[in-house]
Amino acid sequence: MTKVASSRWRAFRAAAFYVTATLLVAVWLLPLVIGVFTSLKSMDEIMANPVMWKPPKALRFENFGEAWNRAGMGRYIVNTFIVTIPSVAGALAVSSLAAFALAFYRFRLNKAVLVLFVAGMLVPFQMLMIPVFRMSNGLGIDDSFGGLILFHISFQLGFCTFFLRNFMKQIPYSQIEAPRIDGASDFTIYARIIMPLALPSIAALAVLEFTWIWNDLLWSLVLLRSDAIKTVTLGLANMQGEFITTYNLTAAGSILAAIAPVAVFLAFQRYFIEGLTMGADKG
Amino acid sequence: MKRVIAIACAVLAATTLFVACGKKGSNELVIQSYMSDEAPKQAFQALVDDFMKKNPGIKVTVNTTAHEQYKTQLMNYLTAKEAPDVLTWFAGFRMQQYAAKGLLEPIDAVWKDADFPAAFKTASSYNGKVYFMPQSWYWWAVYYNKDVFAKLNLKTPNTWDEFLAVCAALKNAGIEPIAIGAKDTWTAGGWFDYMNVAVNGGAFHQDVTAGKVAYTDPRIVKTFDYIADLAKKGYIMKNAASYSWQEAATLMFDGKAGMYLMGQFIKDVAPADKKDSIDWFKFPIVEGNAAYGVDTPFDGYLVPAKAKNKENALKFMAYLGTKEAQELFCKPLGRLAANQNVPVPNADAQRGLDMMKGAATAMQFYDRDAPEEMAAKGMNAIVEIMGAPDKAAEILAALDKERERIYAELK
Repeated sequence: MTKVASSRWRAFRAAAFYVTATLLVAVWLLPLVIGVFTSLKSMDEIMANPVMWKPPKALRFENFGEAWNRAGMGRYIVNTFIVTIPSVAGALAVSSLAAFALAFYRFRLNKAVLVLFVAGMLVPFQMLMIPVFRMSNGLGIDDSFGGLILFHISFQLGFCTFFLRNFMKQIPYSQIEAPRIDGASDFTIYARIIMPLALPSIAALAVLEFTWIWNDLLWSLVLLRSDAIKTVTLGLANMQGEFITTYNLTAAGSILAAIAPVAVFLAFQRYFIEGLTMGADKG
Repeated sequence: MKRVIAIACAVLAATTLFVACGKKGSNELVIQSYMSDEAPKQAFQALVDDFMKKNPGIKVTVNTTAHEQYKTQLMNYLTAKEAPDVLTWFAGFRMQQYAAKGLLEPIDAVWKDADFPAAFKTASSYNGKVYFMPQSWYWWAVYYNKDVFAKLNLKTPNTWDEFLAVCAALKNAGIEPIAIGAKDTWTAGGWFDYMNVAVNGGAFHQDVTAGKVAYTDPRIVKTFDYIADLAKKGYIMKNAASYSWQEAATLMFDGKAGMYLMGQFIKDVAPADKKDSIDWFKFPIVEGNAAYGVDTPFDGYLVPAKAKNKENALKFMAYLGTKEAQELFCKPLGRLAANQNVPVPNADAQRGLDMMKGAATAMQFYDRDAPEEMAAKGMNAIVEIMGAPDKAAEILAALDKERERIYAELK
């Protein structure tokens, strides 16, 4: 009797789980579905029929072509790569060095320096808009790829260092001591021992950083003026007019712009999951 | 991991390279534009191409930034060490506040009095100097659905009482009398401009936008009583604050709402088969006060004082003011040119022009005549009052505190 009851209970629990999970996934996916539907409708259909989750009457794939040409997406996407790749690489290179020092060197202000990095993360970015523009303008590096890349590197430094330092802290200190006894220089230890060990967390961080910098609108807006070097988020923003917004083209453009980060995520997915759960199970 | 070092070096090298390459030559003209809508963008490009053909030595670069973001960046454009040479902008206080700070270059040298109405010169000047080259303008009026009016046998109202009667008739027929997409709070700004001028006259309204009158003044309270009255009677559409202006316009195109106080650009978003059923009438007369005001915002160009290629900038400004340049831009867009020698593009525009000429007061619009922050707070307050007409007194008292602070900070 109890056996039957418990198996029924289990079946009920499984059913409840699947229903709830399906609902959650549906809610999660709804905006995406609306985005895809909107990207395939004509503007008249959107205006005449405000129900967003209705499938389009006719699939207008030409919206994607039009968004690509009209917004000049090709150039914007190339520009975004030019900004994103060096920014991610630079931020990771610099912050892994800092993290190495903070994780393994024992000096008096170690904690204070770490707190400084973390504190940097807590400054609301709205507060930085004007100082960052003034400083870049004063140095003459605003309105250039270089200025934006430098800014991204320094702005992401706090989080990257914090993330990598916490990961490296789990590497046993003996991994440092042993090569040191063998006469390895500190830089060799960093490059040959610690970096390979930290690879999963670096890959996970790279994916995160890539998405953030790719999707950045604010700093590109503040630091870039010339159309020739603008990033894809600014290109999308330009599809909104003073009064009239072509929702279908904007949705199509957004989907095109999302391809690169999604591809990067899929390519690094394995590391991403590993990196996030790294250290979750105490071995 | 040699690779990491290699990447780091590559980054550094690339960075220096980019920074070094970022600089520009001198026989150029850099224009920063907010015309991100497709049609104006193309019309402006045609203008630039024509200018380059006439001035083969000058290389023009046009950079476009979306309208809303452009507004947040204007201060950066004006104060950058190497400022752009020509900027798109608005007339009135929104321009004059920068002229007062010495951020703009006077353009008297290229201004021709014969080309522009006197009212345009006033709104383009500060302290006796012209800083702004007007290009095109549009009008605000009460747009309505002709089919709905015909079906209910309604006539366009001239007076406030007639207007209320039309509202009542529409409501009885189950149609929202007044559409407003208050998610974009600027839609409410038009109501304040038109209502306040209709109730209190143009001179008083100018004092209000200049910050000289308290929002608790009995005359302003009276203006808001009229608006609150519409809300209390249920003439303003339900859930106005959750519609964007474009979404609310759809209600009127579909005949679910009757009227919409809006700019002439509303016709641009009407679906092709509905364009002809949309028409407009002048804002109704209140209490027999026949001297009316109109919202006729105009757009144009200015030159930052720090512009790098000033000579070219002034050449371009002179070109922008000419009859043919204005016609080249306005004709394809169906807009009215600021240059009065340009022929009116169509009969509808002629009506708009006649309305403007007959007006006792021409306004730029609440958020262009008043400081931006004041207008933002004011428009929020109007939307709040439309939603909660009983709380008007409290909302206005809070608004007046903001007024005292904002105008004090401007000094």
